[in-house]
Amino acid sequence: MLLRRSGDRKNETYNLNALTDADEGEVGVSDERFLLRVAEAVYAENHEALAAIRDEGRGILGEQALVDAIAVACGFNGITKVANATGIPLDEATENNTIQMRKEARIDDYSDSHKSVIYG
Amino acid sequence: MLYQDQSLPIRESIALSHPEGISAFAKAGTWFTGAQRLAMLSEARQAHRCSLCDRRKAALSPYSEKGEHDSHGDLSDNIVEVIHRLKTDSGRVTQSWFKSIIETGLSAEEYIEIVGLVATSIIIDGFATALGSELLQPGDSVAGEPDRTTNEDVFDGGAWVPMLNLAQEMTETGLPSGPNIFRAMGLVPSAIQHFFGVMRAHYALADLDFAISRSQTELIAARVSSLNQCFY
Repeated sequence: MLLRRSGDRKNETYNLNALTDADEGEVGVSDERFLLRVAEAVYAENHEALAAIRDEGRGILGEQALVDAIAVACGFNGITKVANATGIPLDEATENNTIQMRKEARIDDYSDSHKSVIYG
Repeated sequence: MLYQDQSLPIRESIALSHPEGISAFAKAGTWFTGAQRLAMLSEARQAHRCSLCDRRKAALSPYSEKGEHDSHGDLSDNIVEVIHRLKTDSGRVTQSWFKSIIETGLSAEEYIEIVGLVATSIIIDGFATALGSELLQPGDSVAGEPDRTTNEDVFDGGAWVPMLNLAQEMTETGLPSGPNIFRAMGLVPSAIQHFFGVMRAHYALADLDFAISRSQTELIAARVSSLNQCFY
C-alpha cells in the first residue's frame, strides 16, 4: 500500500495486481524482476538463489544497492511475522484509502476472516 | 568485527544494531531468562528442519496435520509451536490458532515476547544468510531474572492482543506517528525496543538513506509481505 503512495508522489502508476498475481504482468518499477527475485530468495531462505543474487546483483544494482535491497527484504520478512502473529488491523487512514486496491490486488484474501474460512 | 567475512558494504546502522540485537537474546527479557531466550533463538534456527512443519507447509490447511515438532527439547511444546509456526508458516496463522495457544497456559505477554524474539532473529539471521555470512552468535546467557512486569498502558485496538496506547498525530507519510505495527507488541515494551532497534536499520517510512529508490524499497516490501500473506 505504501508502494501506491510512492507512485502517487511521483505521479506514476504501478500495477499492484502484479505483486500478488504473476499473470498480471509487470509492476512498473525499475529493475523489478531482479528485486522480486531478492524478495523471493530471502523469504524462501534459498541458498542457491541467494548466491546467484549476490553474483548478479553487483552488476545489476551495484554493491550498496544490492545490500540495501537484501536489508529491506530481511526487515519485512521479520516485521510481517509480528503483524501476522498479532492480528493487528490496518491503520484507519490506510483502511479507508485502500478499499478498492485491496480488493483488486486480492490483499483482502490475507485477512484473518478469510484465512479462518480457508484454513480453519 | 561484524560480518568480517563479507566483501559487500554493510551500513553502519546494521553493523551497530545487529550485534546488539543478537546479544540481547542472552539477557533476561521481561518474561523469560537469558537461557530461555537463547533456547528460543536456537529453536528458531533449526525450525526449517522440522518434519511436522514440512508436512504442514504441504497441506491445504496446516491445522489438518497433527504431531510433534522436531525440537531441541529445551522448551515447552506450546512455545515450540509458536516459534515453528511463525518461522515456517506465519501466513496461515489465524486467531483461532492464537487462542488455542493461550488456552495452553501461555500468557499473552509471554506470547508477545516470543513473537518479538522470533521476528528479530528472522531479520538478523536472514541478513547473514542472504549475504552468505556466518550467523551471528549471541554469547553465553547472562544471569538475571525477568522482571515480569505487565504494561498497563495498552488498549483494545482490534488486534488479538492489547496494543500500546500512544498519542497519535498524522504524518506526511499518510500513517499515524505510531502505526499499529509499532503498537502491536505493546504488552511488552522491551520487545518493541529490541525488535525495532534492529528493524530501524532495514526500513524507514521517511528519510530513507538507501541506494535503492523509495519505489524499489516499497516493491520489495510489498512482495515479501505478499509472500507472507500479510494483510497489514
